[in-house]
Amino acid sequence: MARLQLRDVSIDFPLYRGGSQSLKKALLGRAYPRLKNFSRESPERITIRALDGINLDIKTSDRIALIGENGAGKTTLLKVLAGIYEPTSGTIECEGAVSGLIGASVGLDPEATGYENIVLRGMFMNVHPKEMKARVAEIADFTELGLYLDMPVRTYSSGMMVRLSFAIATSIHPEILLLDEWLGAGDASFLQKAQKRMSEFVNRSSILVLASHSMQLLETWCNRGVLLHEGRIKAAGPLKEVIAAYREFVARD
Amino acid sequence: MHLPMHHPGDDRPAQNQTSRFLLAWRDIVEGLRRYWMWVILAQQDIRLRYRGSILGPFWVTVSTAIMVAAMGVIYPRLLNVGTAEYVPYLAIGMVIWSFLSALMNDACQTFIGAAQIIQQVKIPLSTHAYRVVLRNLISFAHSLVVIPVVMIGFGVPARWDIILTLPALALLAVNGVWISVLLGMLSARFRDIPPIVGNALTVVFFITPVFWHVEALGPLQWIERLNPFYGMVDILRAPLIGVSPSLSSWAMVVGVTVFGSTATFALFARYRPRIVFWI
Repeated sequence: MARLQLRDVSIDFPLYRGGSQSLKKALLGRAYPRLKNFSRESPERITIRALDGINLDIKTSDRIALIGENGAGKTTLLKVLAGIYEPTSGTIECEGAVSGLIGASVGLDPEATGYENIVLRGMFMNVHPKEMKARVAEIADFTELGLYLDMPVRTYSSGMMVRLSFAIATSIHPEILLLDEWLGAGDASFLQKAQKRMSEFVNRSSILVLASHSMQLLETWCNRGVLLHEGRIKAAGPLKEVIAAYREFVARD
Repeated sequence: MHLPMHHPGDDRPAQNQTSRFLLAWRDIVEGLRRYWMWVILAQQDIRLRYRGSILGPFWVTVSTAIMVAAMGVIYPRLLNVGTAEYVPYLAIGMVIWSFLSALMNDACQTFIGAAQIIQQVKIPLSTHAYRVVLRNLISFAHSLVVIPVVMIGFGVPARWDIILTLPALALLAVNGVWISVLLGMLSARFRDIPPIVGNALTVVFFITPVFWHVEALGPLQWIERLNPFYGMVDILRAPLIGVSPSLSSWAMVVGVTVFGSTATFALFARYRPRIVFWI
């Protein structure tokens, strides 16, 4: 049984601007408190409450759609679920293996070859290289990249990179799948192939949390929705209701 | 867009003291358990750094060898010591020093350099420190070929206490871990740290007995007892140049290890969850 439970989770995101990453300013601020007071008036370090009092229960067979405007906290919430951000306050309980990678198009090492990246990426998803090597042939086959897999990834076109990272990411089947909007690029024939693989991938997971702006994509994969606004949950429930609430909300703005 | 903001001052720790230390400890142990991860990453680092280069990691060896050859001609006269005794001392000292200084410069990149990974996947943060130490040990291993060459070439006797290089190296590796975590954290938070470390190391090189003998200080020799870098160089160098191990150097390094690890652990426990926001 996979389960994710968030209780009153908040995340404060410190933002460092200009001089606040400078050691000199930090030391001067200590030695000359007046300077620090001055800097407090125009604070160089501010914290943003990226998530505020999030309560969420996710159980096996839930397919959650995260909906919200840019900056609403969708990616932050995914990162909390993945364990990358630890809550500033509140608790998170997680049962089941969580997929580590959030976006598929990032995380490839541009200097390493396609084959090396398969092993590296697998490693970050907690798959031992030996185990990953057994999957290399299948992944290589799916990407149709052929000899390019022996070349550094920096020589790839963006479409080729998407093929590779998509094939790697979907070759592993974690119980809890966290996806930030992807599966955008790639040519038509690849997209068709990808849909098939994607549905197999999603169907094997116990829990899916998908953040996207594409209602069509969300309606294809999800059954529940969570609407985020300024770090708070505005609405949660069956997907249709949440999408309706979101449309209303956007129209009102 | 409206952003809910508030100001510094409410930096309250999220967890209570015990669980913070427990989480930090778990991070360190969990990182060790997944050793295969940083072993592969470190090997990959070396491979990528020198991809397309003919000599590869041996470039460091070559540059050390050239420096030793050049200094080996001039400095024995300058310092008024015998060449046969000075060159092995210099060569071995330089190899060790290049390792230490490369490690410390690299330590600044522990978390900054792994930013992409840290922001995308949940793996123990200590993994990145082990990776930095190992990749520097691999580099160091390539320059070790200089040592038997000068030892044989200049007839330095290999004595039983050459075995002491193993615990010495192990101790330096442990120090490498806390230094990587500490400098990695500081550099992520304050971007001035990497150049400061770089500059400081240059100064330290000149005030540490690497290319000159500590005896040259005469009555001021005690000063070097306070220099942890002297201790670190000395515990590894002494057995290789056929000199008996110095108890004070060992005591110094053991002390530094205990103090550095403890202090760094406390800092790591306090700030570990924030590293992801710093990078």
